[in-house]
Amino acid sequence: MNCAECRDNLVACAEGLLDRDESLHCRAHLDTCADCRAEYKAITSLQQRLIARGQAAAEVRLVESVMQRVRQEQSKPERETIMSKLLKHRWGFGLGAAGFAAVIILIFILSTPKIQAAAAEVMTKGAQAVAKLTSIHLRGQLRTFPGDNFSFINADSPFYTIELWKQFEPELKWRVEKPQRVVVMDGRSTVMLIKTGDTGVKVPQRTTSAFDTEWLHRIANLSNTISNELDNARAKGWKLNLTEETGADGRLKSIITVLVKSGVPDNDYCKNTFMGNADTRRVYHFDAQSKLLESVQIYLTRSSGEVQIFNLSQIDYNQPIDPGVWKLELPKDVSWAQLPEQLSKLPDNEKYASMTAEQAARAFFEACARKDWDEAGKFMSPLTPRLKDYLGGLEIVSLGESFTSKAYPGRFVPYEIKLKGALWSQTKKWNLAVRKDNPAGRWQVDGGI
Amino acid sequence: MNPTDKEHVERCRDGYPEDFRLLVDRYQKPLFSYLAVRVGDHAQAEEAAQESFVRAFFSLKKLCKPESFYSWLLGIAGRVAKEQLRSRERRKKDREAAEVLTLAAADSPQEYPLEKAIAVLPEIYREVILLRYYEGLSCQDVAARLDMPLGTVTKTLSRAYALLRQELKVRENDEERVNRIEQT
Repeated sequence: MNCAECRDNLVACAEGLLDRDESLHCRAHLDTCADCRAEYKAITSLQQRLIARGQAAAEVRLVESVMQRVRQEQSKPERETIMSKLLKHRWGFGLGAAGFAAVIILIFILSTPKIQAAAAEVMTKGAQAVAKLTSIHLRGQLRTFPGDNFSFINADSPFYTIELWKQFEPELKWRVEKPQRVVVMDGRSTVMLIKTGDTGVKVPQRTTSAFDTEWLHRIANLSNTISNELDNARAKGWKLNLTEETGADGRLKSIITVLVKSGVPDNDYCKNTFMGNADTRRVYHFDAQSKLLESVQIYLTRSSGEVQIFNLSQIDYNQPIDPGVWKLELPKDVSWAQLPEQLSKLPDNEKYASMTAEQAARAFFEACARKDWDEAGKFMSPLTPRLKDYLGGLEIVSLGESFTSKAYPGRFVPYEIKLKGALWSQTKKWNLAVRKDNPAGRWQVDGGI
Repeated sequence: MNPTDKEHVERCRDGYPEDFRLLVDRYQKPLFSYLAVRVGDHAQAEEAAQESFVRAFFSLKKLCKPESFYSWLLGIAGRVAKEQLRSRERRKKDREAAEVLTLAAADSPQEYPLEKAIAVLPEIYREVILLRYYEGLSCQDVAARLDMPLGTVTKTLSRAYALLRQELKVRENDEERVNRIEQT
């Protein structure tokens, strides 16, 4: 072994990762070479220093204590939350806006000073009541398609159950589930299973939310929910309304209503299809006695009228969660989908990167028509047996000019195809979602199949 | 690669404060280690670390370079440690005790804080060092956690050591020079 080879192997040698022969060669070289020996000594000396520092901190566990303090501090009125400012300066925003055309306008409807004070107290106490949250379970009903994206909404669909389990201590874990789709973050990685195609998607690390579950996590992170809504109200001009009323159980309820404007134009293709691009009215019910959030309703607000799309009917605070919740049973033949950020370049990548969205859609459908799954796989992964059966042998009727949406980073290509699969003999007219914001810069089919 | 500090900071600012727990998880040990040397007491170091994180959380909007979160956090921690020492000095009338504490807080010319050197490493090198030494993972476990081949981990560690040694050498020489000037 010469000096260059030895230097290449020094860290592996110091870590005990070399096999017996390599290790012997490396050590034999070190015995005869003072320079390499000095380098090795410098590395091991630094390692010892690092090990000592790491060992001194081995027992340190600050995450929960810090997050608890953050929640407690956030719930203190003296920290000048937006809520406290609003309540202190009830009329200031409207008057100030007259002088600053770009300044946001908040409309605060509070009937009496007594209710104003009660609302402020409910906000503060509501956040304080969950400052020591160790776990939460939400169960609600959402108008959606059972196998579609977690934030997908469809006003004409029936309600389907959607649940979130979240553990804050001793370690962050969470699970979100709807009938045909489930995601579990078990403290090490985040895995989603789309049951309809037995397709798995894995993010190899812990996450606080993933796969479009953020809107539900926002509700679960209760101490921040209201301040989030208020931040958005300030930044985006959403309207707020605080009222009190007696609930069906005869107890006093404080109700916060937020009128959410997504900022997506009414004629946008994606408008009102996901929680994030929908204009909604969100209603939060707090119990005046326990101070806890009791329920949430979300209504889609359209020119044709309101329709309720979400009803959060059950919230369990600090209840033990069955450890089985953090386990995800995967089918034996699960097909793993690649995350967009993991997409690598092909040897002939330029050919695909230079395509227009229409050309990519045509190439994809043509590959499906001739059942060339290798080629089709360059546009969509994974192509599950179910998808192959669905798309195999299709006939292209027409492809239109692509268009964009303010709420989507790719393009939509209108298409009409005749399906030839055994179970799917029909004509399908829809819009193929394709995007190329990945490291390979190639169009990938993202939806609309 | 895990989400970067910049991504976590931006998500916290965008209304996802729970992402802050991942930043605490990533830096709690090196921050504690940094503070333990400065305040010379385990419990005080934990208290100072917690205070530093909380202050950092409520000041995130002021952080101009989210990618430099850890360096910025160490700056906050340095101030918290000084405040804590001052407060202890005020409480303890015993002059001798105060001197001992002051000495403990000062960086030895030979011991430029490793954590400060780690803070200036590019993110991937910092991540590997933190996982290997502060999380106590084996190289194989680091490879699994970061979804990279074992050989890449050892190469990354090798480069990280080289950068750390270089940084420590420069800083310790600087401090030695300053000390010499102060003594003359």
